[in-house]
Amino acid sequence: MIELLHFQVLASALFCLGVYGVLARKSAVLILMSIELMLNAVNINLVGYAAFRGFEEHHRSLGHVLVVFVITIAAAELALAIAIILRLYRNRGSVNVDNIELLKG
Amino acid sequence: MNLGHIVGAEFAWLIPGLCLTAFVITLVFGKFLPGRGSYISIAAILGAFLLFCSVFLDFVSNGLTPVSVDIQWIYIGDLGITWGFQVDRISVVMLGLVTLISLIVQVYSVGYMDGEPRFGWYFTLQALFAAAMLVLVLADNLLFLYIAWELVGLGSYLLIGFWYERRSASEAAKKAFITTRIGDVGLLIGIILLFKATGTFHISSIIHAANSGGISENTLICASLLIFLGAMGKSAQFPFHVWLPDAMEGPTPVSALIHAATMVVAGVYLVARMLPLFEMAPGVLPTVAVVGLFTFLFAGSIALVMTDIKRVLAYSTVSHLGLMMISLGAAGLAAAMIHLVAHGVSKALLFLGAGNVMHGMNNETNCLNMGGLQKKMPITAYSFMIGALSLAGIAPLAGFFSKDEILLAVFHKMGPIFLTLTLIGVFLSSLYMARLFLIVFRGNYRTERAKKAEESPAIMTVPIVVLAIFAVTLGAVVIPIANYQGLGTFIDASHHFRMLSWLTVMSSLIAICGMAVGWLYYGTSRLSPEKMSLRLGAFYRVIINKYYVDEIYQWVIDNLILAFSKFLAVFDRVVVNDTGIDGAGMSVLLSAIKVRLIHTGRLYNYSTAMVFGLLTVAIFWWFI
Repeated sequence: MIELLHFQVLASALFCLGVYGVLARKSAVLILMSIELMLNAVNINLVGYAAFRGFEEHHRSLGHVLVVFVITIAAAELALAIAIILRLYRNRGSVNVDNIELLKG
Repeated sequence: MNLGHIVGAEFAWLIPGLCLTAFVITLVFGKFLPGRGSYISIAAILGAFLLFCSVFLDFVSNGLTPVSVDIQWIYIGDLGITWGFQVDRISVVMLGLVTLISLIVQVYSVGYMDGEPRFGWYFTLQALFAAAMLVLVLADNLLFLYIAWELVGLGSYLLIGFWYERRSASEAAKKAFITTRIGDVGLLIGIILLFKATGTFHISSIIHAANSGGISENTLICASLLIFLGAMGKSAQFPFHVWLPDAMEGPTPVSALIHAATMVVAGVYLVARMLPLFEMAPGVLPTVAVVGLFTFLFAGSIALVMTDIKRVLAYSTVSHLGLMMISLGAAGLAAAMIHLVAHGVSKALLFLGAGNVMHGMNNETNCLNMGGLQKKMPITAYSFMIGALSLAGIAPLAGFFSKDEILLAVFHKMGPIFLTLTLIGVFLSSLYMARLFLIVFRGNYRTERAKKAEESPAIMTVPIVVLAIFAVTLGAVVIPIANYQGLGTFIDASHHFRMLSWLTVMSSLIAICGMAVGWLYYGTSRLSPEKMSLRLGAFYRVIINKYYVDEIYQWVIDNLILAFSKFLAVFDRVVVNDTGIDGAGMSVLLSAIKVRLIHTGRLYNYSTAMVFGLLTVAIFWWFI
């Protein structure tokens, strides 16, 4: 029997993986993927709560709607981020974030 | 019969208004006008004089009741400040004197300033000065009076420094401005004190408040003394007298107008205006009298030894201003005002005469290079003589009557010792006048230049003849005839014309005595001034160096004021600038050098900070 706890564990595992990816990866592309991972962890949470917290039928669909929104905005955001990374690569020949420190004080 | 129906006294503001208009027109369009604006200026002052006549007749036919016109200027809360004019007994006399002398001097200037490159500018300044002086005379509130007072100072500054290419002229202009400013600061503080105590600038309201005990005695004394300080600056009383002799660097007609007849008497006029206040403040009037007496004797003694014709007259002016202050100190308002008028006319005459002499002598001012000029310029010589006799106080000229009135006031109020000292001043006054006249006009030609001297053109001789006629006839105005009670009673209703025969005889004898001594020394070769100066030795050296007052001031400025200024400059540079302003700036800069290292520019630093920040917030939210 799948319960809310499973959703929560899965979501937090995914989220932690995402955080780890953002902190540990050097490549801008991988960091971007990790951010997507974190977003999807949140989506799983939303779906899980919507399914198990005993909402009324018409309220339950709110969680699903929110997930669709998140996916849509994430797609848009991703398109933008990919474009930025592409320009970065064209200009500097690398997407290693260690080499990008123009704002250094 | 209403004679003054043409222009009533309530339109007195037109008099300065006319001059101000002339100032603006000549300032803007002067270059394009015929006579470079001089006609406009003269027409304005002539119009002002005619307006004065009309106002005067109206004022007299209305029974000498003061007329005042007030216009609201600004409101600050409940407080309203007004522009206002007042025509009363004192101001109408001053109005007449200022317009008359200005008119004569401006006509004279057309001849004297002929060929001057800045001819138009000169008349522009004359118009400005006349307007400012007339406003000062008419103003009925102290704030307005102060504005005019400063404008008069500005006019004086510009006219003294008229030949600003000459270093001495520009220095003299600065000296005059700065010296009078010291007094002006006092005047301003005095005005503010009175305003604080009464809540009004209106002179009559202030005097009314003081009468009804609305001003505490200490405030009254402080304010009166501070106002007197302003008067001392303007009227060149010791120790502020230093600017007036130097002011002779300006054109001679300017000396006649400003530094003899009108501007310098502004101080006397101010004290006369505020006299009821001064009378209520214990100890102030004696101070006025003592300062006046000291200046009278001090400047009179310097005038005895000066050799520059204009400087002799300048010190004589300082001295006679002192005499007017003595009179005010003895509460002799009418006497002071009569002497103000008599001295104004006589001294304008003397200065314009000196201008003629300089004109004929190719701008020579040292009277030891003159001599015998009576044969060369008889009109100037006789007019000058009348002026000199009038100032020396010889009957029946104007100066005789005014001096007598003053001596009477001094005798009644100040006692015999003060009277004796004043009489010594009278003696000095007639002595230096005799000396100046005899050296310049009598005897032999001392130089070739004196031999070639010529009388001035009519435009310069007619004005001084007119002034000479005034100097002769003005005395008659003082004497009461039938219903007319004399100028003294006109000025001050409580004054009555009186003569103490012994005092009159004594003062006349002393004046004649002074003349005679002058004659013995300078008219004949029986007594030699050179031997006298040798016999006096050190004392003579002190006087010829003007009691070293200028040197003392120079020492104070060099050693005290400059040292203090240098200290202030260092304080400003080190404490205010380097520590206060640069220090604050540097501290930001230095801390920025350290703090900016936080920004590594590396993404993972930022994201780590974000994650740990979020965790911290989450933990706080969870547990607290």
